[in-house]
Amino acid sequence: MEEMSLFPGVTRRDFLKICGGLAALIGLGQAGAADVAEALTAIAKRPNVIWSDFQECLGCSVNLLQSRTPEVATLILQQISLNYHEAVMAAAGNEAEQNFSDTVSGGDFFWVVEGAIATKVPGAMTVHGETSMDIVRKTYPKAKATIAIGSCACYGNVQAAAPNPTGAKGLTQFIKDDMGIANPTVINIARCPGNAEDMLATLTYVLVNKKVPPLDSVGRPKFLYGALVHDNCERRAHFEQGNYIESFGDEHCADSWCWFKMGCKGPVTYAPCPVTRWNGHQSWCIKAGPCIGCSEPAFWDTMAPFYSPVPNIAAPGIVGISDSTFTAILVGVTAGAIGAHLIGTAVTHRLRGGGPMEPARGTAAEAPATEAPPGGASDGGGE
Amino acid sequence: MARTNVVIDPITRIEGHLRVTCVVENGKVTDAWNTCTLFRGFEIFMKDRDPRDVWHYTMRICGVCPTPHGWNGVRASEMAMGVDRMDDNTRLIRNMMEASQIAYDHILWFYVLNAFDYVNVPNALKAKPTTPTLKAVQQQLKTFVDSGQLGFLANMYWDNPGYKLPADLDLELTAHYLQSIEMQQLANDAGGVFLGGKYPMIMNYAPGGCTQLPGLEDIITYKQRMETVQGFVDTVVVPDLLAIAPYYIGLAKVGQGVGNFLSWGVLDEKSQDPYDRLFPRGGIYGGKLAVEKVDPDQTKMYTKHSFYPDTLGSGKHPLDVGQEPQEYVDLAPVDGSKLPNAKYDWTQAVRYGDREAPMEVGPLAQMLMAYLAGRPEAVQLVDSTLAAVGAAGHPEILISALGRIVARVLKLKINMDNAQRWADELLANMATGVTAVNSMPEVPDSGEGKGGWDAPRGALCHYVRIKNKKIDSFAAVPASNWNFSPRDDKGVRGPVEEALVGLPVADAAQPLEILRLVHTFDP
Repeated sequence: MEEMSLFPGVTRRDFLKICGGLAALIGLGQAGAADVAEALTAIAKRPNVIWSDFQECLGCSVNLLQSRTPEVATLILQQISLNYHEAVMAAAGNEAEQNFSDTVSGGDFFWVVEGAIATKVPGAMTVHGETSMDIVRKTYPKAKATIAIGSCACYGNVQAAAPNPTGAKGLTQFIKDDMGIANPTVINIARCPGNAEDMLATLTYVLVNKKVPPLDSVGRPKFLYGALVHDNCERRAHFEQGNYIESFGDEHCADSWCWFKMGCKGPVTYAPCPVTRWNGHQSWCIKAGPCIGCSEPAFWDTMAPFYSPVPNIAAPGIVGISDSTFTAILVGVTAGAIGAHLIGTAVTHRLRGGGPMEPARGTAAEAPATEAPPGGASDGGGE
Repeated sequence: MARTNVVIDPITRIEGHLRVTCVVENGKVTDAWNTCTLFRGFEIFMKDRDPRDVWHYTMRICGVCPTPHGWNGVRASEMAMGVDRMDDNTRLIRNMMEASQIAYDHILWFYVLNAFDYVNVPNALKAKPTTPTLKAVQQQLKTFVDSGQLGFLANMYWDNPGYKLPADLDLELTAHYLQSIEMQQLANDAGGVFLGGKYPMIMNYAPGGCTQLPGLEDIITYKQRMETVQGFVDTVVVPDLLAIAPYYIGLAKVGQGVGNFLSWGVLDEKSQDPYDRLFPRGGIYGGKLAVEKVDPDQTKMYTKHSFYPDTLGSGKHPLDVGQEPQEYVDLAPVDGSKLPNAKYDWTQAVRYGDREAPMEVGPLAQMLMAYLAGRPEAVQLVDSTLAAVGAAGHPEILISALGRIVARVLKLKINMDNAQRWADELLANMATGVTAVNSMPEVPDSGEGKGGWDAPRGALCHYVRIKNKKIDSFAAVPASNWNFSPRDDKGVRGPVEEALVGLPVADAAQPLEILRLVHTFDP
């Protein structure tokens, strides 16, 4: 069996299969499998990784422990050198801190951050007597690449929910505000928890292409976060047919009807959930209940209440909100216009030369329709 | 004589952020403080939000045990909406989710979070394995060590004489460590992933019950995965415990702690009576093996030694305390040159009832309640374990550092042995046309509710008060709030602080014993 530095213990055939999957995921197509294989085989020394935990719940680390692609044991024994991870490492206290300092001073490391930075109450987050602010200040400038995993490190997440008692910030925002760096290079692997398999796919992208992948306006890799949950949802056909679950446990749950009326935020949430799924790609939220929009900045303030339908969505047929406009909405302008984008991406294909839309559905009674006439605009900006 | 202040910050292999400070004099701990070094403010930002959403917030308190945080959150809010009792399908689905959580959580603790305190991984290179599997693991380990990049194993006290296992056992346990990663995944798959959508942060609860009845194929998947994990527990975890315990029998004589125990209980039987649970509710005081009834509303908060005004707590009910304002004081230097200040912890001290007692919570408490309530499985397992170590008839010896580890493994076994039952009862309900799974309650103008359902690490209760259809007050009292309480207003130490006092420490520069004892509480 040929030795693979990143995937030892798997056959060449399996290895190429993995590479093919990764190549497809990062947008190279199946033809890119050879490039991926070459990039992964070229690494002689396991890359140093340090993983910091700030204001968090450890959910992202727990998700890392659920990774099957690759298996966790393979990852930490054969693929990376995980020099610091508070939940996994053997050492504690001064000896743990020594591992962190030694790696940072060596300068040859990738930095993964889980958790938000406490800025208003700096003492709300300390490790080894240092605040999260101080740790970012000394570590970010030395890292080869920095990945924020999970919505806490990306955008502050739950502890940043209004009124944000501790001044919790995502990494990018903190670096901009505190360190005066206008465009920090931080890759945001959003969602709550952060999906470790997405993070590993992104690392693969960096290794293969030797550059950071194109990011959207809130720092997420476009190859993962370029589409709405709704766009690829396996229940999308039910949405378009107006087949809604009307109450939890009703007879249509068994038919996998659409959760929209139960509050599903999939129509306004950019994330790869339906494609990459979770926990070894086995399942995802929609199988169990409505999406809460956890990949979007400030979702506790913009997406709640979670069990109320997205407002102002009456019927398919209203199009024309662009990606950037949509992002502005999500950072807190108004929920009222969100519906426009939803319908834009939901039915644009059908509107282009398509037949008449269905009449307004049940939600029309609950939320007033937006003003644009059905089918009135011709270009759905979100595609 | 020699006196050293030992500060361990960070305590690793836990959920959360923790510092422990000990005074070590003449080879023993004479005083101790624990400090949670993280504050987020859930009780502040949850105010005025939609009561239906409570459980989504509470799961984010702990990403290692979101499922019981979800149970407590959803139960507190639905009770405040007038749902006094779950429908039977909801009871069973929530039990299945919890059984899945307990299985993953205790397996993760035993190996990933705990094993490096007892298993000397580099020493496994000296083993003389005979099986292909163990040879392969040793070769993998050799390649890893020879690379010079020790990664997650770097800088541990591997030369400490406190490691007692023979090399062959070190290798076997290392192999099981690697195997346990797959097993905790299968345990999570069973409930969290296939019923809950993903793990962590499940999606299938909702106020009034669950979102839906699971499909038959998912119930079968649950049964299959839990059966596989049960096999792992019976043939690997329990034998591992029995294999290593004799080498560390000294742990049976240390870390007894406060001797008060509390469990709200977990895993509902049909009655939904908390005293009838698989692990029943109860309290024990002063190490006397007699169970008293307990009430989550007798939980009292104190803040004299926490980063809040002295009078904020004053023994009030959790819903009447909150987390504002804060009075943070810089921590004492990490080099131990000064001992902790009067205020030294983000955690508020939590005490129980008229006695204002510090209470230990966790699997030891859960197993003691089950044993003393006469649950046949608990009685049989505890008695046979005591007999095996020559202590028949003396369950009180479980009150120790080793006892906490034993109790966690025995509880894991009982959990696995009952995991099929919840699924079978659900299937029986569905077969007889019992399909209700959510009562879809309305949010009332006002109401109050609480959970009271143990997490794997111990007693957990969330409290909710609704006013004007919004959350007026929310309070969380998780397990680590009990175990890792700081001193209370009277200066009485918390359970872990008390358990540390008297602990022998051979070498203050390598405080392995302190790390072990803290880990027995599964912070």
